[in-house]
Amino acid sequence: MITLPRPAPPSARPAMPAALKTLLKARWFQPALQLITLFGFTLAILAGFFGTPAGSRNFGIVFVWIVWWALLIIVLVPFFGRVWCTVCPLPAPGEWLQRRGIIRRTPGKLHTLGKRFPKRFKNMWLQNFGFLGIASFSAIILTRPHISAGVLLAFVLAALGLSLVYEKRVFCRYVCPVGGFIGLYAMMAPLELRVRDCKTCLEHGAKDCVVGNDQGYGCPWMVYPGNLKRNTYCGLCFECIKTCPKDNITIRLRPFGSDLFVAQERRLDEAYKAFIMLGCALVYSTVLLGRWGWLKNWANMDTLPHWLLYAAGLWLFNLVLLPGLFWGAAWIGRKLAGEMKIRDLFVAFAYTLVPLGLAAWIAFSLGFVFVNGSYALSVLSDPFGWGWNLFGTADAAWTPFAPQLLSFLQVGVLSVGLMFAVNTAYRSARQFYADHRGAFTAMLPVAGLLTLITGVFMVLYLG
Amino acid sequence: MFKRSEFIARLTVGVILIGLPALILGYQFIVRPQLSGIRTIDISASSPENGGFQPNSFSVTAGETVMLRFTSIDVTHGVAIGPGLGVDLGQIDPGHIKEVTLTFDEAGTYTFYCNTWCSVNHWRMRGVIDVRDRVNPNVIPTALPDPVIAALVAEGVDIDASVHNRSSAMSSMPMDDAPVLVERPSAERGATIAAALTIPTEFQDDAWRQSHTPQQAIALLLTQNPNTPQTDLADAVAYLWTRSAASESLARAAPYYAQNCAACHGETGGGDGFMAAQTAETPVAFADPNYLFTMRGDVLYAKIRRGGMGTDMPNFGTLLTPDETWALVDYLWSLSVEPNNSNR
Repeated sequence: MITLPRPAPPSARPAMPAALKTLLKARWFQPALQLITLFGFTLAILAGFFGTPAGSRNFGIVFVWIVWWALLIIVLVPFFGRVWCTVCPLPAPGEWLQRRGIIRRTPGKLHTLGKRFPKRFKNMWLQNFGFLGIASFSAIILTRPHISAGVLLAFVLAALGLSLVYEKRVFCRYVCPVGGFIGLYAMMAPLELRVRDCKTCLEHGAKDCVVGNDQGYGCPWMVYPGNLKRNTYCGLCFECIKTCPKDNITIRLRPFGSDLFVAQERRLDEAYKAFIMLGCALVYSTVLLGRWGWLKNWANMDTLPHWLLYAAGLWLFNLVLLPGLFWGAAWIGRKLAGEMKIRDLFVAFAYTLVPLGLAAWIAFSLGFVFVNGSYALSVLSDPFGWGWNLFGTADAAWTPFAPQLLSFLQVGVLSVGLMFAVNTAYRSARQFYADHRGAFTAMLPVAGLLTLITGVFMVLYLG
Repeated sequence: MFKRSEFIARLTVGVILIGLPALILGYQFIVRPQLSGIRTIDISASSPENGGFQPNSFSVTAGETVMLRFTSIDVTHGVAIGPGLGVDLGQIDPGHIKEVTLTFDEAGTYTFYCNTWCSVNHWRMRGVIDVRDRVNPNVIPTALPDPVIAALVAEGVDIDASVHNRSSAMSSMPMDDAPVLVERPSAERGATIAAALTIPTEFQDDAWRQSHTPQQAIALLLTQNPNTPQTDLADAVAYLWTRSAASESLARAAPYYAQNCAACHGETGGGDGFMAAQTAETPVAFADPNYLFTMRGDVLYAKIRRGGMGTDMPNFGTLLTPDETWALVDYLWSLSVEPNNSNR
């Protein structure tokens, strides 16, 4: 494999604006945001367990699976990367217990059993299988408030349990199914946390960002900021900004998708995360937006055998069929362009699904947020469906938003995603084939496959 | 010693994790019922395959005022309460709530039921309100036997038989040559024809009319008017059979039919409702006079109130009053004949 020379990082990236630095250094900043989301999260669980079973009138369904999801996938992840992880309430109780403090920097070690997380699980595979597991039940989880609340509560308990046994945010880094795909798609974001000068970190022996100091904790995500090249595993907790005595960490803007070309950090587990995310978007679009009512019934577990068939199909499609198609495309490209290590080529081309998958999820989410977003108004006034009317909007009628625009937006987003994906394929191929012709030939089959997949999405969205 | 910010943060966590649930649940389940002053019963409605009404039965005391709050969970349902209360909350969309405040004066049993077609088992979607006597709350109120059904049973009439020409009371009448009606009898034409016929006195008797079939009536008319074509006699019976049904009675019965019967028997009585193919027996066509003219009114009444054994037809005696049931029978007759528009 040829590694193209990357532009040398500036010897000293500019520092953050003073106001932003002050905010991110404040110990109260992250907990304050987490307390706000913890409030909403608690309300969602309460509504799920005690509110109306009608999903469209239950805060736990509408605000989690419509408002939060749309905000996450349409705004937060594409533009701000892992910023949701900054405010996520799921790991907060466990982390506060580990630290025996919410805001203050408590001295001494974290209060856990201090076990080491098994090395074989230090990757995305748990998150991949966890996401597929949840996806298998998604038609049920997304519509049944009490089941949805149970899943959310299970996430908190899992995070809490892991934080008692293992140090730091093992749940977020290796287990959380949401964190997995946020990390993958955060590679697209035009925002990154990086060190200003790598040399400063190399020369600094204390590594306060890793071990912590009296200003903050060592990185809870078990990342060494000095070597950070991608957004994937940085949870934007900003502890490193607090602890760095050299003021060497900054947040800055960059071009969309910059992380996709960090060749040395590509991994098979991440590639599969990309397959699973795109595959699930395709399956969801087919099941929820397609014209096949029987398939929706299967996903809704009308009978156990039907659901088992659906789940088996979902897993096979994501783990075998879609990767198999990509493997085939990579293999044909290699045959046409010249011998190259097929596994590396396959993994590299899988990252083309990051922009396309994100675009597919945005298009899919636009569909239901435009159609069902108006439920948020009534749920805001009557979160439990108990006949309350807190803000006078309980009787707000269901009103789809701009349905005439929806298809144009979806097609536009998918087209942008496809162009980005094809461009990624070419640029990735150039990392293997030095000449333009070889790279172009190698990526052609993959580009065709990407176009085909985009076409399927468009057919589904345009009916 | 905590810093103030840490104290506030911990307090906030406590408020969120303990105070918020206590506040919300305490208000909804303790404070709110006390503020309203009357007992509120929340009833969720989902299609029978998903559990129907929950709860599907509850007790109240005669004289007690209760608020019943219905919410739909899965699809659009309709909620009515009967018999005889005239409570129809109309359609309830998923997640919406409709409520009604009721005071039951006397002990008895009432039924709340879905009156909007919601699933293949829609007709199973019913619940029971058990109104207990204030003095003897442990005495379960029992319904008195319906005198019409009791009389049919005493008479030996097979309520589930498909035709009723040969009931014992009319066994002497010649029915073997009962005409096949090639067109729907016209009550309008019948009004003119009847004016020129000799009408037996039995026709003036509502009880007689209810206990005999139109075919039997045609046979009886024939004995008095031997030279009259049978089609004219059928028109005359169509008129005589429907003339007493007041238009307001038919208007009252029309929604009962639309809500409870049309799905199987068809909107116009053609036996071709959208659920017709799924019932154990093909629903009868009320619009076919060759069927309905072989039926007695009291048997139709009994079938409606008791249900059709083995046919998938549920009972409606727990939903409708006897008067409402008779109005429905009149409505059925009106489906089998051309109406007398001059009478409307």
